[in-house]
Amino acid sequence: MFAPLSEKLWNRTLAAHLLNRAGFGGTPSEIYSLESLGPAKAVESFFTAEDDGDLFPVPPLTLPAERFVYQQKLKSAVSEDEKKILRSAFNASQRDSMRDLRLWWLNRMRYTSAPLLEKVTLFWHGHFATSNQKVENPWLMWQQNETLRSYALGKFPDLLKAMSRDPAMIKWLDLGTSKKNHPNENFARELMELFSLGEGHYTEKDVQESARAFTGYRVDQQTGFFKMVSHDFDPGMKSFMGRIGSFNGDEIIDIIVAQPQCARFIGRKLWKYFVSDNPSDQTVEEVACLLRSNGYDIGATLRVIFKSQDFYSSAVIHQQIKGPVQWMIQTTKLLEIPLPDAKVLENSLTMLGQVVFAPPNVKGWDGGRAWISASTLLYRYNLASYLLSGKAKVLGGGGIKTAVVPLEKLSPLSSRIGPDHLLDPLEFLVFNIRVSAKDRAEFISYLRQYPTPYADSVVRDLMQIMMGTPEFQLC
Amino acid sequence: MKTPREQTLHTRRQFLRTSMLGGALASTVPLFLEKTFLTLDSMAAATPGQYATGKDGTILVVLQMAGGNDGINTLVPFGDDAYYRARPKIGLPANQILRISDYAGLHPQLTGIRDLYGLGNLGLIQGVGYPNPNRSHFRSTEIWQTASDAERNETEGWLGRYFDNCCKGADPTVGVAIGNQTPQAFASPNPQGVAFSNPEQFRYMSDAASDPNSANMFVREMNTPDQEVEGTIHGAVSDNSGGTIGMIDGAGNNSGSTVEFLQRTALGAQMSSDKILAITRKTKSSVDYPHTQLGNSLNLVSRLIAGGLPTRVYYVSQGGFDTHANQLPTHDRLMTDLNGSLSSFVKDLKAQGNFDRVLMISFSEFGRRVAENASGGTDHGAAAPLFVLGGGVKPGLFGAYPSLTNLYQGDLRFSTDFRSVYATALEKWLGAPSEQVLGKKFPLLPFI
Repeated sequence: MFAPLSEKLWNRTLAAHLLNRAGFGGTPSEIYSLESLGPAKAVESFFTAEDDGDLFPVPPLTLPAERFVYQQKLKSAVSEDEKKILRSAFNASQRDSMRDLRLWWLNRMRYTSAPLLEKVTLFWHGHFATSNQKVENPWLMWQQNETLRSYALGKFPDLLKAMSRDPAMIKWLDLGTSKKNHPNENFARELMELFSLGEGHYTEKDVQESARAFTGYRVDQQTGFFKMVSHDFDPGMKSFMGRIGSFNGDEIIDIIVAQPQCARFIGRKLWKYFVSDNPSDQTVEEVACLLRSNGYDIGATLRVIFKSQDFYSSAVIHQQIKGPVQWMIQTTKLLEIPLPDAKVLENSLTMLGQVVFAPPNVKGWDGGRAWISASTLLYRYNLASYLLSGKAKVLGGGGIKTAVVPLEKLSPLSSRIGPDHLLDPLEFLVFNIRVSAKDRAEFISYLRQYPTPYADSVVRDLMQIMMGTPEFQLC
Repeated sequence: MKTPREQTLHTRRQFLRTSMLGGALASTVPLFLEKTFLTLDSMAAATPGQYATGKDGTILVVLQMAGGNDGINTLVPFGDDAYYRARPKIGLPANQILRISDYAGLHPQLTGIRDLYGLGNLGLIQGVGYPNPNRSHFRSTEIWQTASDAERNETEGWLGRYFDNCCKGADPTVGVAIGNQTPQAFASPNPQGVAFSNPEQFRYMSDAASDPNSANMFVREMNTPDQEVEGTIHGAVSDNSGGTIGMIDGAGNNSGSTVEFLQRTALGAQMSSDKILAITRKTKSSVDYPHTQLGNSLNLVSRLIAGGLPTRVYYVSQGGFDTHANQLPTHDRLMTDLNGSLSSFVKDLKAQGNFDRVLMISFSEFGRRVAENASGGTDHGAAAPLFVLGGGVKPGLFGAYPSLTNLYQGDLRFSTDFRSVYATALEKWLGAPSEQVLGKKFPLLPFI
């Protein structure tokens, strides 16, 4: 079960693969230093990397107390005009806050030296799939993001309990209105269907009974923190998954995670996100076994997976379609440029279908082939051209330029003396693997049109061609 | 006279000779590409006006009125005192209403739409909604887009499920959304359909400094499948399909490796983008449209229809309906835009001879509260009327106007489930099995 990869097989392609999947990719020099560690230490380095969150100060967000003051002001406003002015100023500030918060997280992904933590946090964000479109409170979205991060590599049952008390989640799935005589079933249903077991592994009765256990969960309007309102809680007997007791929410979660199906459900999802789209039942069973044996320790489980030979099989390497966020972070890393302007960034991720803090629905992003349509693929190609050329017209936008790609660093003059000299390092930079003979031949015939040493424009155009391909969409 | 098959082969050879796509397509190509060649061929013949894309393929246009249109001030119950009691400030005077019946009539700006009603091209379906209405924009839009029950969270869109179930192997342009984002209605595990707001941007725009043509050509080469697309092609054009729907064995989105999937998508994207550009650069409307987002979108749709894009479903939207405060001037402007845009669209389609092929249905995530609020606006409500429009529509008022006094939490009670409207459009217009697409059987309505 998950035999470790032999040291002998370790090479730069596998190191790059690890960096892509456990993080968001990197430059050749980052890949080489990972390679020099050997597989075991390379994997360990992702888990021992120090949380560098203090390097990424959170943008100013409206605090709950300030929001409370605003709501009071709105109530006491005398005229409609006054209300309108208050409202539109507040809404504008919330929109800006949301954009700043997105940029904050994406920059953290881009520059952190602990990328696994961000990668797993993004996984849990997709899993719990809470959107500011309904929560409408950037501060709560940030709080949830920090909660996801602090439990990301810990034990799943703890995370699940933390999420049941998370104020953004309480708003997202209507838990705040659930009380003794009128339990709201939305959270209880999604807890089982989407967060832990999957459809078909619980009954409607289980939904109704467990909904009663999550009554009385509230958000304190003035502090923005969780509070329990005990007179709204239903302390009566509940019959849940074959057991009877006066269960509270945490006890319901304990019963859920004790189901073998829960380990399978989480195991399959982890595998799909980090390894490959269609794990066999046997693989799922093995991950589930691992999760059960270590008490759902996500960090420990990922350690075993990243060290296993299964993770480095040819059916896995360079076979995953990059999600839009992955694409963006990985591309700016390899080009050694900062993220584009916040507006371009927001538009692009909207077009490509992955706006963080705004997943499309309760199920999060489907991922895999669902990322790709005729429109999104063309947009990816154009976005690559934009990042390389810095010319906004490629995206149809006016005026906003992006950083200049340091071409002489990416492709040193000393390598520009002939097609193979240029292509060997450049291909590795862009694709992290050897491309097919057909593709290589195309690159060579492109280069043969131009004199050596190749000018910047030739190298840049070649990179546009390379990045406007199906291959570049994979990692 | 050549058969369609011979014509296709001939055109394809010609196309390949002149195309930068080169030889890799030589022996088998996806069916939708064959259709493309047919279309290009008929376009090359320079028939003015209308290009057939198949035999009388029907087209559905979905119009989203985003924000929650005030249905009560759209189809106004002027014959009911309760209307004026509930809306002392924003009730529209009875003498300005464009009468449809003694009880209800259209907003004063909807003159063109009233004329279409008179001509028998328009149906008004009253009291459309769903059980346990949700008043969140986000959630209620999701319910309409996925056609789910209010208690269930579905992710696939109803049109996405239609494409999946009924249009396998179709051209990517089987669904076209005008806008920057693919609507959730198109969502599916194997997304089909394209979205763009400006056709000039729905294409590969390299910014090659050295030699743009050469760079472009190489990108095309790189995006051509290594192997020929597997499978055999059944028949050249299937008659019942609007020219797009057929099956390619083994070429469904789920088959093959991930790279092959990406290559097929890339090829499809290029072909559709070429086609769309060719059409929009060449086709002009003979009709003036309002210079609004909706006007521009419908103008584009009519040109794509005229140019023979093999699309079954177009999706356009108009925003700004969330009229919480000082509603009258805002709603007036929205109705003016709607009226002008739809009138131009119909005039255009009639001039092209395509009006009989098109059914348009409108929707909004909810109607608005019966009683006006203190700010001269209305808050989120529930049931509302919707428009159905087209050459094949049976005109008239369908369903009864919901009572203004027997309310559900202050809102109109629905009498027609919106999924009955979808089911009718699917069954009677697109010829698709609605139960498969909607997951349930909904009663069909008599508007077609």
